[in-house]
Amino acid sequence: MLDSGFDPAHLAQLLALPFMQRALLAGLLTGLLGGLLGSFAVLRQLSFFSDALGHSALLGISLGVLLGLNPTLVLIPFAVLFALGVNHLAGRSQLPTDALLNIVYSSSLALAVLLLSRVRSYKGGLQQLLFGDILGVSWLDLGVILLLLISAGGYLLLSRRSQILLTIDEPLAISRGVAAGWHRLVFIVVLAVVVAISIKAVGVLLISAFVVIPACASRLVCRGFNAYVLVAALLGAGCAVVGLLASGAFDLPSGPSVVVVQLLGFLLALLVAPHSRLARP
Amino acid sequence: MAEMILEVSHLTICREGSTVVDDVSFTLEAESDTALVGPNGAGKSTLVQAILGVLPRRTGDVRVLGHALGPRGQLPPAVRDQVAYLPQSIALHGRFPLSVAEFVGLGWDRAALALPWRGGRARRAAVALALAKVGGEDLAKRLVSDLSTGQLKRILLAFCVVRPRRLLVLDEAQAGLDAQAAEQFHGLLFNLRRSEGWTILQVSHDLEMVRRTCSGVLCLNRSLRCSGSPDHALSPAELERLYGRGWVAYHHHHAGASRS
Repeated sequence: MLDSGFDPAHLAQLLALPFMQRALLAGLLTGLLGGLLGSFAVLRQLSFFSDALGHSALLGISLGVLLGLNPTLVLIPFAVLFALGVNHLAGRSQLPTDALLNIVYSSSLALAVLLLSRVRSYKGGLQQLLFGDILGVSWLDLGVILLLLISAGGYLLLSRRSQILLTIDEPLAISRGVAAGWHRLVFIVVLAVVVAISIKAVGVLLISAFVVIPACASRLVCRGFNAYVLVAALLGAGCAVVGLLASGAFDLPSGPSVVVVQLLGFLLALLVAPHSRLARP
Repeated sequence: MAEMILEVSHLTICREGSTVVDDVSFTLEAESDTALVGPNGAGKSTLVQAILGVLPRRTGDVRVLGHALGPRGQLPPAVRDQVAYLPQSIALHGRFPLSVAEFVGLGWDRAALALPWRGGRARRAAVALALAKVGGEDLAKRLVSDLSTGQLKRILLAFCVVRPRRLLVLDEAQAGLDAQAAEQFHGLLFNLRRSEGWTILQVSHDLEMVRRTCSGVLCLNRSLRCSGSPDHALSPAELERLYGRGWVAYHHHHAGASRS
């Protein structure tokens, strides 16, 4: 039940609080980053990669807890190793990548839950890990996200042509002189770091929504690549801010509120793009 | 002596432990149109991809416009600019938010790191001209993923013609086209080759087309079985050696039919 109801004065009070301001900023930046990276990831069929990485990250976090280290500190190297490992396996294995990712993430998840069950003190924090704690974001976290946004954005902007060619057809890209192996690796590592950094705010269960939903909504309606990437990023940021405001106003959990707003955006895109191939079953 | 656009010597390519192309040597003179023919699994696509640096080679040398292809398939950007590749097909999954004009523009740009808005005006002019050359002006604003197979092939040709090239490598360009569309495509390719001064190396299954339009033929079945003018290389005796007994009779019954 929404027993608190909507109260403008309550919302204004909330907006004056520093932690709420930080949360809104974090949502804005994470949304931008998710939409930006997601627009490439979705076209390269890497949606499931971000999902698997998010789930596997729980293993990284529980290792950090077990070793008494700051989980975020463990998470980045863990995510990078995960990305490199999966990239290597996918290149060598005869198995399809989605099956491979499934094996890796379900076993990481199982190991993580086993590890966490040994650490009594952490049982209460599981909810926070699963759904994120955007209200607990610090100025330092914000700085890290901003830095990541600038470097990932710069990389994608400068290598834009190579990225698009790689997404269309790898032999075609290589024949144009694109260093395919290198760009594939860098992209997957950047995506892994973005997912790892965003987990604190969004949680392991919902992180892939930030990557996948705004990009897919944009893909349904846009008719050019620049517009597609821009709309995906802005949609990611907009949904995050609206979702956070709604969660503040109605006293709802923040991560799920954002994802529901993203879903509404996606449904809207489906409605305005009735002739699209994806919109049809 | 005519200028050599492509020189391949003693090229051997291995994939997953077995030799798929064995000690192949040939050269392409400027403005020649050479077909690479052979049965399925003969290593035709592998050979052209190794020449482009897409697949690694075991031994041998490849020189494109006099420049040696590096061990990891590297070529100087100025040489890359003059080589274009038409794959069998490009597989786009679902809606792909890239317009035809944007796609053709990718053929104009170099692959180096660069700000996206650099060279905007020159690129736009080159793209418009390339689309005009292939008769695809009206497709400029369409999405690449919305095109029919025939339209996509024409756009791929625009991708090649958007910048002056010397060498064009085609991997079964007519695959997926019906007989009439294949005829149209080859007519367009033939005209562009002459007006642009292209040297062409094309993998082909359509021996009738090869006989009519190509100046030279390379018959490949793991190793180079024979080469020369179409009259010589595609004689019944040579074809039987390449494809095995019984193939020639089969082919004549189906001359002109589409192959997929």
